[in-house]
Amino acid sequence: MSLKSRFSSPRIRFIAIATSSLLAIASFAVPNAAQAASVFKVATSAAVTTWDPIQSFSTEAFYMTNIYEPLLWKNPDGVSPEYSPALATSWSASKDGKTWTFKLRAGATFHDGSPVNSAAVKASLESSKKVGGAGFIWDALKTVDTPSDDTVVINLSYAAPMDLIASSTYGAYIVNPKALDAVAKDAKYYESGKDGGSGPYTISSYKAGSSVVLTAYAKHWAATKPAYSTIDISIVSDGITAQQMMTSGQVDWATNIPLTSMTSLKRNNKYSVIKYKSPFNYVGYFNTLRAPLNNPKVRQALSMALNYREITAVGGQGYATQARGPVPAGIYPYDPNTPQYKMARAKAKSLLASAGVKDLTIKITYASENSAEARFVPLIKDAFEAIGVKAEVQGILFNQQWAAAKKDPANAQDLFIVKYWPTYSDAGVDNLWSLFHSSAKPFFNLSYWKNAAYDKLIDQATELSGSDKDAAQKLYSQAMVILYNEAPGLYLYDEAQVSVVPKKFSIPKYNINYPFSAFFAGVKLS
Amino acid sequence: MKVLRNRLSSALLVLFGASLITFTLARIIPSDPSLAYIGPKATAADAAKLRITLGLDQPIPGQYFKYLLQTFKGDWGYSLSTKQPILQEIRDRLPATLELIFFAITFALIFGIALGVYAAKYRGKFQDAVIRVLAIAGVSMPAFWFGLLLQMLFAGRLSWFPATGQFDIELKYDHPITRITGFPLFDSIITGNYHATFNGLHHMILPAITLSAYSFGLLSRMARANLLEIMSQDYVKVARAYGLSERLIFFKLALRNALPPIVTVTGLSAAYLITGTFFVEQVYNWPGIGSFAVNSLLSIDYPAIMGITLVAAIGYLVTNFIVDLIQSKIDPRVWMK
Repeated sequence: MSLKSRFSSPRIRFIAIATSSLLAIASFAVPNAAQAASVFKVATSAAVTTWDPIQSFSTEAFYMTNIYEPLLWKNPDGVSPEYSPALATSWSASKDGKTWTFKLRAGATFHDGSPVNSAAVKASLESSKKVGGAGFIWDALKTVDTPSDDTVVINLSYAAPMDLIASSTYGAYIVNPKALDAVAKDAKYYESGKDGGSGPYTISSYKAGSSVVLTAYAKHWAATKPAYSTIDISIVSDGITAQQMMTSGQVDWATNIPLTSMTSLKRNNKYSVIKYKSPFNYVGYFNTLRAPLNNPKVRQALSMALNYREITAVGGQGYATQARGPVPAGIYPYDPNTPQYKMARAKAKSLLASAGVKDLTIKITYASENSAEARFVPLIKDAFEAIGVKAEVQGILFNQQWAAAKKDPANAQDLFIVKYWPTYSDAGVDNLWSLFHSSAKPFFNLSYWKNAAYDKLIDQATELSGSDKDAAQKLYSQAMVILYNEAPGLYLYDEAQVSVVPKKFSIPKYNINYPFSAFFAGVKLS
Repeated sequence: MKVLRNRLSSALLVLFGASLITFTLARIIPSDPSLAYIGPKATAADAAKLRITLGLDQPIPGQYFKYLLQTFKGDWGYSLSTKQPILQEIRDRLPATLELIFFAITFALIFGIALGVYAAKYRGKFQDAVIRVLAIAGVSMPAFWFGLLLQMLFAGRLSWFPATGQFDIELKYDHPITRITGFPLFDSIITGNYHATFNGLHHMILPAITLSAYSFGLLSRMARANLLEIMSQDYVKVARAYGLSERLIFFKLALRNALPPIVTVTGLSAAYLITGTFFVEQVYNWPGIGSFAVNSLLSIDYPAIMGITLVAAIGYLVTNFIVDLIQSKIDPRVWMK
């Protein structure tokens, strides 16, 4: 058969056309453009709820810590000293813990060149207390004195750990007074991506929900200038997409890679998979307003039904440890001696019987956008069913879960699963207070639980934590034992932070005190 | 004129219905828009203050009429999550989506009809079987899954194409596109920025193939079935009896008569692609209204959801109108009906 007659066969022609089409597509592929040397490209899921540093109370902290600075930075757990100077170079507290003096850094300027002085600090702290998203952290603040341009004296109504508060990831940024004035006149002042910070980077462009570009601030006070003058950040909500972007070289680093991908990335010699303690903790609130969940015996029984090892393994994919109450390990006032529930289903059944419980059905709600919750909540259902308690699981958006829980508590869910983290590194004034302290109208206490002894311990500890941290710890520990005995919630697990770091780069270590943040000024080639 | 008037009034009715249903649904589902606006840790006092600012404390019918009035005035409100005006968000993102849809529908038309015709010509043969498998796969594979597969193979394994995005990130530093019409690929062509054009086309291939898969499958099956039906008609037999060539019969007589239903399906497919972009844009991190829609749905950003629904409804209406116009060109009786 001649070559010509071979190609006149329709089947051969079809295969030839298909093959050449594929080759044509392949030849169309061109290598990626050479990377601009001073641009570091990042993919992250961190959305921007607001660019207002005073109002900021969400995932925009990822960017904020590069644009704004507090008086102090808190170092990770176990690192000495506990704080690093930011806009304050030294600080001291009076003996009673009610007066704090901060000496400001000479030469620090805002991005418009105006100096960071005591007037700016006073205006920022007062604004944070008055209208801030995390304004409650300044509850103890009475007055701010400015004896000189470089000295700030903070007077408190009760002793509070001002070094800790002044290094908070929310509500503690020092903002240019001009920006504070501008936003007072126009509430939308910041929304196009303006900033009033003094940090190592400034916002050079912002496309809502799509990208943020940060440019290094040339007059920043730090002696070492950032290795990358431009940080180009793509906002990518889907973790798998972010991973594809990093592994295909479109971005240098992705911060939101799913835990389920870690095993394969560990095998890839281009990346290091690093595990850190995080402030994230999974809790389930029992609805204590409803019978029989208003009976602690029933709540204890349900707590004993769970297979914590399985929940931790499936939810945290090997990057989690069973929680000891609602305070995550690594965050004050975590106590390694706080008792934990262990799976004891026979005992759980007998507790239910002694409480006279029959035919109990529990409605569980969880945030469907949280993939870890979607993984482990079915295990809670199975565990309850193993002790004869039926469970109905409802995965809904967190917005809806939250609204339903607050609308009519008595008829709301029986068990509300939530991922929680403290506003700043004090889970006493936050987690223990916010999650379980009684309040007239429930805000984050969605177990609607009220316990006078617990409230008293927490109130005392909160006031003591500014002047006597150890004494406060003892009270917090007692309060956590009450939480264990009374079981208003299920204490599930502490989630680890897992960072996938390309070996090509040196990226600053994760800091548990700034859980949503990345500090780009420290990024460089390995 | 009368036909046009009728078309316009029914279009307005459809838009009114779509806005009413979306608005009502957005309001009756239990959710707290203040969470999307000021973050999950916002205090109760802040949330209450915001509800007043956003007018959420007003009765629902009053809120709806206010919304309608503002929409007609061109004020579509602000996105709760991005804080930007909805109209501006849509204006910024729609060109990227329209470019993607244009390429997807072009892919689907060219390959769908060509392979449909080819399959009809080789009915029951090997080629027909291969094309059938491709068509069924295109119709039945979920877009997000197909997209991930293509991404893993062609971007991850083979590195033939970029995994995501409309252009390389470096492009905005090396070869920035001058904005003329707002359509980035088109702007790159008219400004002679061919580096950006090729880069954009390179990025376009995988998302466009993913988005076109369903329409491709539908069109190829439709083209094949119609052609085979027409080829068995009496007038084709008569043409054969008169000794006309097979090529002439196939392409001049049969294909032309097979076109009207294909045009209808193409129109419907194009309209389907508007919502099809939701998944595809999410997978490929495409900066269009599809990814904006997904993020808005996840954060229950109801002003954005309303705006996107209106745009999708307008898209459907315009596409149907264009389909009718083309149909009337092919067969003038359609318009009269």
